[in-house]
Amino acid sequence: MLPPRVPWLVALVAGWRLVSPAPIAAQVPDSTPPAWTAPPQRPWVAVAEVAAVNVLVNRIDAWALQADWAIGAGTNSWKTNLRLGWEWDEDQFATNMFSHPYHGGLYFNTGRSNGLDYWESAPLAFLGSWTWEYFGESYRPSLNDFFMTSFGGIALGEMFHRVAASIRDNQARGGARNWREIAAVPLDPVGAFNRLIRGEWSERGPNPPEHDPGAFVLRVHAGAQLLADSSTADTVRSAPSVLVDLRYGDALIQPHRSPFDVFAVRLQTSAGTINQLRASGRLFGKDLNGPTARHRHQFGVNQRYDFVKNPAYQFGGQSVEAGLHSRWHLRGSFSLRTQVFVDAILLAALDAPSSGVGERIYDFGPGAGSRLEFALERRGITYVTLYGRNEFVHTVSGASADHIVNISGLEITVPIAWGLGVALHTEYYTRTSRYSDKPDEMREFPEARIYLTWTSASRPEAR
Amino acid sequence: MSRVARTTAAVALAVVALAGRAAAQRPHRSGLWFELGGGPAAVRVACAGCADVSFEAGSGGYLRLGGVLSDRVLLGVETFGFDDETFGFSAGDTAFVAETGTVAAVVLWFPWRSGAFLKGGVGIAEGSFTTTPTPGSPVIAEGVGVGLTFGLGYDVAISRKFAITVNAAAFITAIGDLVLPTSTVDDVIATMYVVSIGFTVR
Repeated sequence: MLPPRVPWLVALVAGWRLVSPAPIAAQVPDSTPPAWTAPPQRPWVAVAEVAAVNVLVNRIDAWALQADWAIGAGTNSWKTNLRLGWEWDEDQFATNMFSHPYHGGLYFNTGRSNGLDYWESAPLAFLGSWTWEYFGESYRPSLNDFFMTSFGGIALGEMFHRVAASIRDNQARGGARNWREIAAVPLDPVGAFNRLIRGEWSERGPNPPEHDPGAFVLRVHAGAQLLADSSTADTVRSAPSVLVDLRYGDALIQPHRSPFDVFAVRLQTSAGTINQLRASGRLFGKDLNGPTARHRHQFGVNQRYDFVKNPAYQFGGQSVEAGLHSRWHLRGSFSLRTQVFVDAILLAALDAPSSGVGERIYDFGPGAGSRLEFALERRGITYVTLYGRNEFVHTVSGASADHIVNISGLEITVPIAWGLGVALHTEYYTRTSRYSDKPDEMREFPEARIYLTWTSASRPEAR
Repeated sequence: MSRVARTTAAVALAVVALAGRAAAQRPHRSGLWFELGGGPAAVRVACAGCADVSFEAGSGGYLRLGGVLSDRVLLGVETFGFDDETFGFSAGDTAFVAETGTVAAVVLWFPWRSGAFLKGGVGIAEGSFTTTPTPGSPVIAEGVGVGLTFGLGYDVAISRKFAITVNAAAFITAIGDLVLPTSTVDDVIATMYVVSIGFTVR
């Protein structure tokens, strides 16, 4: 539904620091603002807005785009869909793995922008997705859409809600205020609509807690990407690449308060399309020692969203991971951050030879895996990262196969001055597919990226 | 109406009759709780490339246990099993015994002060379809995949520690390809609908 060509997203996330909160010390209000109070909860307004989103999207697709699946949706298709129930669809990878989660984020944020918290908003993503699948399209309801729209919508919706809240500033005035509000619209259009009709677009007041993540690191990369596929000898594809890393909050500085109070997101674009969008948000965290301990350890549970679509391979999914997040103090201001996690994939999608069904060229399936990461940091800013991740995916739609995916890499950033630096990333993606009716197949995809970088960071203890 | 369905309907009526009396009692659960129940069910099996779906009646049972996240939100694990002894992949076919199972992490949300709750969960699912050709030994086609469950229910307090729980739920199980004796059924999705009565220790 939504094209993956969304360079505005790059600009928005990259510009988050530029247009958003100035350092706390520089924000000198006219008078002490009143303390923030939780807005009233409007669950029935949220439910009505979920229905409104579906009607609006259906009508735009029917009237403006003349989409037959939107025009044909009506009582006959509803009756058929209720009788036949779920199937797997054959849509393109970006539609299923990015556009649908974005769509789900709209449902989720009807709740967040009406005073509901993460858990209270989550059912709205399922409600919106279910009603869309059964009543919004003439096609049979698609189970993979339901998964991706619901779980992906929750992950992207909460992340976008928080980034949008950081961009907006309820204490700002004039043109700067309007630009902030406008910049947040693509991330959280439902929230923007509600702010507009309630007069919050221009009303001055305290900011919500999500406005200030406490600690953050934003790193913007611009450069080139080199990508190879072991199946096509001597073929190396190169392309310009922009990559943005945002770390919102720090799990080892801030005790757990609410889901996604800490998250990390990586966005990579190339030639105007999104190559990669990965996010991991903390659902739960339990400190295993005190905040003043020399080495810090926390047990955490994260919700993950993965979308990788580049010229060589496609991989994505919704998962939950649990594990140990530690920071080992080294000499001076240096530290080593380690993450050891195991995960359960609720539903993944990946391409392989003979995969897919009909027009679809990738498989769907649940799975499990693990992730290791070691990062050398100085004052919370990462300079060297070594990581490895492996996932097992059992196909439930597509080829009769099990896939094993390994993703490992090394990333080095050398600082120069004024937040600028150069970075070299190497990544190695391998996929082994074990078919029940064909010989096993293995493929490797080495990748290198070279960048100029700009880093902006803030930590509570530095203030 | 089958005997299971008649019994469930009778118990449900009795539970509804008790509901008014129980409303004044403390409805929600605390600490470690568990729940066991069952009732009539139906299964709809869809597959890639199939012209139609199979829809059959059967019976289902569940065991659910867990703890409390907050006053209104419970977190638990649920196992659910479904059985139909006369399942068929086409009209008139009753040659298969269909069995499905789901183990899922579930969240129960009590939005109000009453015993009404909504349930959602995700986990692992399996399905097996057994047929016995004559002559021959049983042939089993089975698959493993992902399961989702959604439902609603009502806790009717019997005492401080016990409740009778009425549930209506759907279990969606995606189990991939099934290799039957004469053909392969691709990308199978079995959806079970169950109305059940449970006994809850809370």
